[in-house]
Amino acid sequence: MKQLSIVLAVVFIVVAVLYWTGHAYPPGVHAKHGIVSVILALLCLVWYRFQTAAPAR
Amino acid sequence: MTFVQAMILAVLQGVSELFPVSSLGHTVLVPALLRWRVDESSESFLAFVVVLHLGTALALIAFYRAEWVAIVRALVTSVARGRFGDDPEERTGWLLVVGTVPVGILGVLFESSVKALFASPVPVSAFLFANGFVMLLGERLRRRQHAGTARATPYRTLPQLTWKDAVLVGFAQSLALLPGISRSGSAIVAGLLRDLHHDDAARYSFLLATPVIFAAALLEMPKLFAPDAHVALVQSLAGGVLAAITAYASVAFLTRWFRHNDLSPFAWYCVAAGAASFILFAGKVIS
Repeated sequence: MKQLSIVLAVVFIVVAVLYWTGHAYPPGVHAKHGIVSVILALLCLVWYRFQTAAPAR
Repeated sequence: MTFVQAMILAVLQGVSELFPVSSLGHTVLVPALLRWRVDESSESFLAFVVVLHLGTALALIAFYRAEWVAIVRALVTSVARGRFGDDPEERTGWLLVVGTVPVGILGVLFESSVKALFASPVPVSAFLFANGFVMLLGERLRRRQHAGTARATPYRTLPQLTWKDAVLVGFAQSLALLPGISRSGSAIVAGLLRDLHHDDAARYSFLLATPVIFAAALLEMPKLFAPDAHVALVQSLAGGVLAAITAYASVAFLTRWFRHNDLSPFAWYCVAAGAASFILFAGKVIS
C-alpha cells in the first residue's frame, strides 16, 4: 500500500502538470482539474505518511 | 439586473444554500417565475454569484469557527504524528476530508455539463419535486430503522461514522450537482440513514458544505476579473454581505430546528413548489 500511495501521488502531480502546461487541454480551460489533482496528490502523501510513521508505544 | 433584484437573489442564496431546498434550483426558478430578464450565463451575473457564494461560505466558517479551529489543529497534529488518535475532533476532521473527496472530483468533472443540461425551469421543477420526495422517504426509512423494538438500530454520534459512511454521505452530497436537488438535504438524508440524529446529520452536512462552497467560490474567482464581468462594486458588496447575514441566520435557525424537528416541512415545501412550478412551466402557463 505504501508503494501504491506514492505511485498515485506522482500520477496526480503529473496529471496536474499536464493540465497546467496545456498538454492535456488548452491552458486555463481545465485549471480546476489541475488543482483537484494536486489536492488528491497531497492526500496520497498524507496516506503514505500514515503508513510509514513509527507505531504508537 | 436591478439593485432590488440583486438583493432578492442575495437573500435567496443565503437562505436556500443551507435550508434543504436547493439554492441552484431557486436561482433558476424564482427569476423565471417573476419573469425577470436576467441573463444567467452572462459574465457579470456569474461574477455576482461568486460573491454570493463567498459570503455564504464566510458565514458558515464564522458560525462554526471554534469547531474549525479545533478540527484543523487536530488534523495537523494527526499528520505530524502519522497515525490516527482518539480525539473526536480529529476523527470528525478526517470524516470531512473523506466526505469531500467524492463531491470535489464529481463537481470538477461534471458540474458545467450537468448545469448546461438541466439548469432550465422544467427539469429543475422535476428535481425539486424529487428532492422533497427523497427527504420524505428518508424520514420514513429512518423512523422504520429506529422504531422502538428490540431490533431497532441504535443512533450514532458523528465521530462514530465509518469511512464508508463518510464516502456515502459525500456521494449523496454530489447529487446536488443536479439543479433542484439540495446539497444539505441529500447529505442530511444520507446521514440519517447512517444512524445519525438530525442535529448531528445537519452539523456534518453544514461542515461538509463549507469547504465545498468556499473552494467553489475561490475556483470561480477569476470570473470576477473577466473582461466582460462589469461587476457593480456596491451591488456585489451589498449582495455578498446580505447573503452572509442571511446564511448565518439560516444556519443558526437550522441547528436549533434539527435538535427537535425533522425534514418534513422542507420536504413538503419542495414537493409542492416542484409540482406547482412543473405545471406552470411544462404546461407553458409561464414561458
